[in-house]
Amino acid sequence: MFFICGHLFIMKSQSIYKVPQGKLLKISLESDNKQHIKDISISGDFFAYPEESIQKLEEVLKKSLLEKNQLFTIISHFISSNEVQFIGIDAESLTEGIMRCLDE
Amino acid sequence: MSEEWRLLLTGQHNAAENMAIDRAILTAHSRGLVPPTVRFYSWSPPAISIGYFQRLYEEIDIEACKKHGVEYVRRITGGGAVFHEHELTYSLVISEKHPKIDTNILESYGSICGAVMKGLSYLDIVSTYAPINDILVNGKKISGNAQTRKQKTVLQHGTIIMDVDVEKMFSLLKVPNEKIKDKLISDVKQRVTSVKSQMDVMIPFDTVAEAMKKGFEDTFDVKLQLGQLTSDEHELTEEYFDTCFGTKEWNDQRL
Repeated sequence: MFFICGHLFIMKSQSIYKVPQGKLLKISLESDNKQHIKDISISGDFFAYPEESIQKLEEVLKKSLLEKNQLFTIISHFISSNEVQFIGIDAESLTEGIMRCLDE
Repeated sequence: MSEEWRLLLTGQHNAAENMAIDRAILTAHSRGLVPPTVRFYSWSPPAISIGYFQRLYEEIDIEACKKHGVEYVRRITGGGAVFHEHELTYSLVISEKHPKIDTNILESYGSICGAVMKGLSYLDIVSTYAPINDILVNGKKISGNAQTRKQKTVLQHGTIIMDVDVEKMFSLLKVPNEKIKDKLISDVKQRVTSVKSQMDVMIPFDTVAEAMKKGFEDTFDVKLQLGQLTSDEHELTEEYFDTCFGTKEWNDQRL
């Protein structure tokens, strides 16, 4: 789905990713022409400790470049620096879920 | 002499009340007002609970729920959507510093699920643990479990499926692809079981509760002493019902 906002194409997309040996991860993404994350929502049947960390991660990811290695680094750093524990998802699968939004 | 924990048999409640009671016990225990507590309960009317990170409208067919008189609520724990009809639900609330609770979250899932498995053994049902949060009988799920840690306190709740109507369950849950719904129903029928299926007869709630009580007592080497919700917990339950689980704002979050 595309919207024209100023000179940018705002694209809304979603991915559903069953993490191997893990849980179901759903990503809803708004990006500016597949370049940067404008908004992101992470949902699914996984566990996160503390639970509030997912909302914080969504905030951290806003404005990030949609590039696999950079996303993985940001998410990995977020997990280690905030002492977050995920069950059923991890930095790799979150990165994969986000990148799959670009396949639409 | 074994340590005493509290046992609560709170009977049937609606969805928001049930989640508010678990939340209230967590807060009361974190404030040192009540001992470690095991609670057994059920749901009336039947309800679907969704995990903390799920989106209500992606998981639940709201119109179908209204038609069948089924309620819905969002949990404070992660995990997936659960249809609560013929089941015993348990909760355990205990300080995360308690020596009988593993500091490690994964390991604590295992030990608490061990109590449920021990309880099933008192019904002559042999089960296995499927990390992180399922208990299986002959490869089929009989129990799902979910844990949160807040206010330095562990809350784990879970289901012991006493009977299951997979068709009804799928009429209430949304599936990603309607075209494969029949296949999905047939798959889930192969992957889910119940106390009734295992024992060829419907066992009363109280019998399952008695078995679970022994399971928790054996596993944690404690005596479960029957108690009541305190007046503080009743007040907290009302507060969490009014400000959280009974509100559209809470249940519709993550849209």
